Amino acid sequence: MITDQNTLRRELRAKFPRNHGQLLPALHFLQHEFGYLPDWAMEVVGWHLGIPASEVYGAATSYTELRIEDPGDTVVRVCTALSCVVAGSKDILTALESELGAGDGAEEAVFTLEETPCGFLCGMAPAIEVNGRWHGRLDTKSAIELVRSAAHD
Amino acid sequence: MTDVSLQTRSKELVSRAKDRLSVARAGKPSVTVQVGHCGASVGASELAAAITDRYRDAIVAIAGCDGACFAAPTVIVTSRSGHTHRLERVSSADLEPIARVLNDKTGADTTIAPDFITAQQRIALDGCGTLDAESIGDYLVHGGYSALARALQSDPSDVIHEVKDSRIRGRGGAYFPAGLKWESARGFAASQRYMIVNCEEGEPGLFKDRHLMEGVPHRIIEGACIAAYASDATDIIFYINAEANLSAQRMETAIQHARELGLIGENALGSGYDFNIEIRRGAGGYVCGEETTLINTVEGYRREPRIRPPYPVESGLWSRPTVINNAETLASVPFIVSNGADAYTQIGDGTDTGTKIINLSGAVRCPGLIEVPMGTTLREIIYDIGGGPPEGSSVGVIGVGGPSSGVFPSSMLDTPIKPGFLHESGVMLGAGAVIVMDDTMDPLSVVRNLAQYNANESCGKCTPCREGTPRMVEMIDSMAEGKATQDDVDELSNLARLVNNASLCGLGQAAGNPILSGLHFFRDELTAKPKS
Repeated sequence: MITDQNTLRRELRAKFPRNHGQLLPALHFLQHEFGYLPDWAMEVVGWHLGIPASEVYGAATSYTELRIEDPGDTVVRVCTALSCVVAGSKDILTALESELGAGDGAEEAVFTLEETPCGFLCGMAPAIEVNGRWHGRLDTKSAIELVRSAAHD
Repeated sequence: MTDVSLQTRSKELVSRAKDRLSVARAGKPSVTVQVGHCGASVGASELAAAITDRYRDAIVAIAGCDGACFAAPTVIVTSRSGHTHRLERVSSADLEPIARVLNDKTGADTTIAPDFITAQQRIALDGCGTLDAESIGDYLVHGGYSALARALQSDPSDVIHEVKDSRIRGRGGAYFPAGLKWESARGFAASQRYMIVNCEEGEPGLFKDRHLMEGVPHRIIEGACIAAYASDATDIIFYINAEANLSAQRMETAIQHARELGLIGENALGSGYDFNIEIRRGAGGYVCGEETTLINTVEGYRREPRIRPPYPVESGLWSRPTVINNAETLASVPFIVSNGADAYTQIGDGTDTGTKIINLSGAVRCPGLIEVPMGTTLREIIYDIGGGPPEGSSVGVIGVGGPSSGVFPSSMLDTPIKPGFLHESGVMLGAGAVIVMDDTMDPLSVVRNLAQYNANESCGKCTPCREGTPRMVEMIDSMAEGKATQDDVDELSNLARLVNNASLCGLGQAAGNPILSGLHFFRDELTAKPKS
């Protein structure tokens, strides 16, 4: 785990040539390393590539797959595109919301529950993603079990 | 470099691959496990691990999913005596059916819909699900890279002519003639040209490019190299969706194997031509697949489109001429180069040529990938191949072409698929998503879902799209509450037209389509007062 500016600078220097086109690959690297894009790390990316921090932040926030905030230990994403809605994903979403107590702040540090416009598993609907792994052909019960077991890992 | 040496070199590669494979596989039973994005979501990776662990004397190959999503995980087993069977919905907890076939104890396929694949005409998807996705040898023996060798020994202008004669249009949804694009890019003077393979596939309802990358990665590489050669580009970028990790892995392996055999890289196949291939990942969002946005993201800028013209073929990546083709388009190119334009034009309905991969999902018995000739009707796709809606339900709204397109009622089932508009109210084939809703699903909620998607994905560059798309959702909501007057409905349809007319990119220019087609086909249902 990289925790300081100098280590990150060394990593970036080894991995990414100094040109503007490397911004997105470098941001992907941060997301992979930290699970999200910490402010200080984005600033270091800017130093390395010669891009103002404001521009790095501006670009980063325009991408839906990049996270600006720490999502916590367990990220659950429920697909709510049409094919999954037809197969009952809204029920799964509601069930998970009450299961995880999302919204009341009690378990916010542990869980992030999100809707996603598509998991591209339309033939396997309904689908949810738990910590980067997609699962298809679910129902409310199996979805809750999945999330529970992920929480205990 | 003479032509003869090029062909000899390619034939040598094939015969060496054949020798290697036949020695390795001689007399051994084999198990091909289909592990793709779809299969993996129902345990195909665990299944593959269990099979590899248990049947150590069998050849275990990992293929991509063949597009029969309803059947996943699928395993193809060849027994000791050489009989091949297809087993579907296999579980890693019960490997007995595989053992029985391997040892020739029983010999029955367990196929849910035996005609699903045979009823299709597979060109781009050919071999997807049966070829070892991580073996270049399998693809070479299957005839792979022979089209590239053929293209490299002819003049680029001949390749362009052949592809122009085939009348293939871009399968990413815009349907621009591929050959013309290559020719235009070549026509602009430049020291450097780029080829970008658009595998972003960020549109709900689509999963075809992932299957192609996971199942037949070499076919896309071959098509991309042919396109690059024809357009005089030496740098090829594969732009892959941020979430499609398995696809990116398979592409990376494939690129590495092709490089090791000298099919790409410097002096590819001894032709004197270079193909430098690099993979870049997107970072989410429908608009990333829009070609000028894609260029912006590769250059490290915000996810926003650019003003066209100049078009990318004139001034694209780093202001150089850039050809951007969809993965499916490129996966069809080797067929055209190998078999000639005539063979391709014979497929289709005469006007529109070739095949299209339809991404069928929703309330049908057999959701999955269906590659059929242009001109096939939605009824044939949904009922004859897709098995129709499940027992006891009927087809209600059909979402065709995703959020940039629109909705059809079941009375439009006899519409044939073709490039561009299927109906003037805004229903387009797009990249080929077909989502079937059963008759319990309210058309208004379908339109709202699509409109909401467009509102979320709007990048914010053009005011009509940024402000208009959320406003349209609000207006739909007021219709759902029964508060909308006739004037409000007219205003909604005017706004939808305005957003379509006043936006820069494909997302905004089509964001009004779900509403316009919804109002055209379902005006009564949409404007009905809610029952309370």
